[in-house]
Amino acid sequence: MSTPFLAINNLSWQVEHHQILKNINCTFPQGKVIGVIGPNGSGKSSLLRCIYRVTKPCAGGVFYQGNNIWKIPAKQYARTMAVVLQEAPNNFSMSVTQVIAMGLTPHKGLFSFDNADDQTILSEAIKRVGLSEHADQPFDSLSGGEKQRALIARAIVQQPQILVMDEPTNHLDIKYQIQILELVRSLGITVIVSIHDLNLASAMCDSLMVLNHGELVYQGTPEEVITSKRLSDVFGICCTVQPHPQTQKPNICYYYGYQHNWQDEYDGSKKQELKYGQNHD
Amino acid sequence: MIDAIFSRRFLLLILLTVLILLSGLFATSFGAANISMLDVFTALSNQAFSLGEITAIKERIIIELRLPRVILAFFAGAGLALSGSVLQTVTRNPLADPYLFGISSGASFGAVIAITAFSTAGSFALPVGAFIGSTMAVLLVLAMAGNRVNQQIEKMLLSGVAVSFMFSAGTSLILYMGEPQAAASVLFWTLGSFARAQWDSLAMPVFTVLGCLVLFIGFKRQINAVLAGDESAQTLGIPVARLRLFMLILSSLITATIVAHCGGIGFVGLMIPHLVRLSLGASSIGSLWVTALVGGLFLVWVDVIARTLLTNQELPVGVITSVIGSVFFLVILTHRKKGS
Repeated sequence: MSTPFLAINNLSWQVEHHQILKNINCTFPQGKVIGVIGPNGSGKSSLLRCIYRVTKPCAGGVFYQGNNIWKIPAKQYARTMAVVLQEAPNNFSMSVTQVIAMGLTPHKGLFSFDNADDQTILSEAIKRVGLSEHADQPFDSLSGGEKQRALIARAIVQQPQILVMDEPTNHLDIKYQIQILELVRSLGITVIVSIHDLNLASAMCDSLMVLNHGELVYQGTPEEVITSKRLSDVFGICCTVQPHPQTQKPNICYYYGYQHNWQDEYDGSKKQELKYGQNHD
Repeated sequence: MIDAIFSRRFLLLILLTVLILLSGLFATSFGAANISMLDVFTALSNQAFSLGEITAIKERIIIELRLPRVILAFFAGAGLALSGSVLQTVTRNPLADPYLFGISSGASFGAVIAITAFSTAGSFALPVGAFIGSTMAVLLVLAMAGNRVNQQIEKMLLSGVAVSFMFSAGTSLILYMGEPQAAASVLFWTLGSFARAQWDSLAMPVFTVLGCLVLFIGFKRQINAVLAGDESAQTLGIPVARLRLFMLILSSLITATIVAHCGGIGFVGLMIPHLVRLSLGASSIGSLWVTALVGGLFLVWVDVIARTLLTNQELPVGVITSVIGSVFFLVILTHRKKGS
């Protein structure tokens, strides 16, 4: 059996007897976009932090090409994996170019200066995310979507094999949400991204992982994972799922008004527990 | 456009260097004795190439008294501004200052003990005592800060404040119990002065500042990356907690050395980095050179004012840095507000 590109084996993590991640196993194929979905507090960010080598799991681990990532030097791992975090930092007075140039750090030794190749990599990354006109501006003066694009450019400069993004589309207008995800899809590298918007996740990801209470409950293609039954189990909502007219990927139509027991109509199963459906007799 | 930034910064550096050389000549000509810039130039060329003629007394004043003083002032300013800038960056706290980590109160404590214990050998014991005191304070803060990245900044800042209070209390107690003369000499020392500058004692501050500057420049990428947040820096492969401790050690070394030689000169470390950023714009914050040169330039001129403002009397440097610096800073701050 060949070694998987990136794998999570029996990974568990707990904080003071509180189990955050429970025995997670999965593999990530190279060059695919993998979406991580799940309700608030389901462990999405914790799992990503284990993957990008900030949280050390209590048991099991993350393996890159068969090697435990904690055995790989931090600097070397940073040349393999770039990360775009949930919230763009604020209040730091650097120009857009300086922020993007941070991505060179893992490729550089102490006392090294940027050479002509670095400049080419930098300006190509800036062009790629469409920020050429803003390159000399202060980073703080950018809009939310532009800041995310600048941080993606920083990740591009890192020249990674894997890009991890923790809810990169939060607080963004829908146009920029789509733009950001289409941008990272176009990079052609492995992308592991947590997304709140399930329709967006379905349309943009090659495969999905569903976390609930720290467990990996489902994984597979959007068609396999996104069903009304599963969404109601994990997210406690009622919905219908139909193919999207353009992409043919599952498209979710939510129902509202949780005082009413929709579950009777849809599943006929009274055992099922909905978070917001209990007050009504 | 990237080239444009670099060339602009390069021009700025050249401009500052020229300004500093001129200021050095100019500052050396200021003082009680009447000496012109031409005299300074002649004395220098006489020393270096045995060219030019100048009276022996003038030459002695220039070479033995004024020149080491100007050099010390420059390196003190450069060092304090550098360590302030680096500490503000790695703690992401605009109020971080070399003195925030207990260095000055530790130094005062050491100085007071040195003065009261070895009153006869005061002039020699005082800097040594100050250095030992500040080192103790910083070691305490370092031990408290620990190697865990999560609460490191908070622990560093809070334990710095606590250590400051602890040593100040000790200083006050000893001064209260001791002789009034000791109190006066400690006060004079705390306010800062370059009057003790001599060629023999220049080597340590100069090499400390230069050595640390080289290391800061070496770690420049890592230091700047911490600005984007600890976790973000960790994903770039940077050992954030270790880097921060190392930078605190270097900054403390600079500050302790300067405090031991010139006393407690406030304001420079806190404000010069902000001044550079506010007046020269975002793209210059990364430039440690600019910060160092501006800091040095500032203290050279402050020392000129200290020597010449009152006839026959020297003002403490610390008082002038605070007065001029704060007014200048407020002016720039309001100006920037209107501008943007």
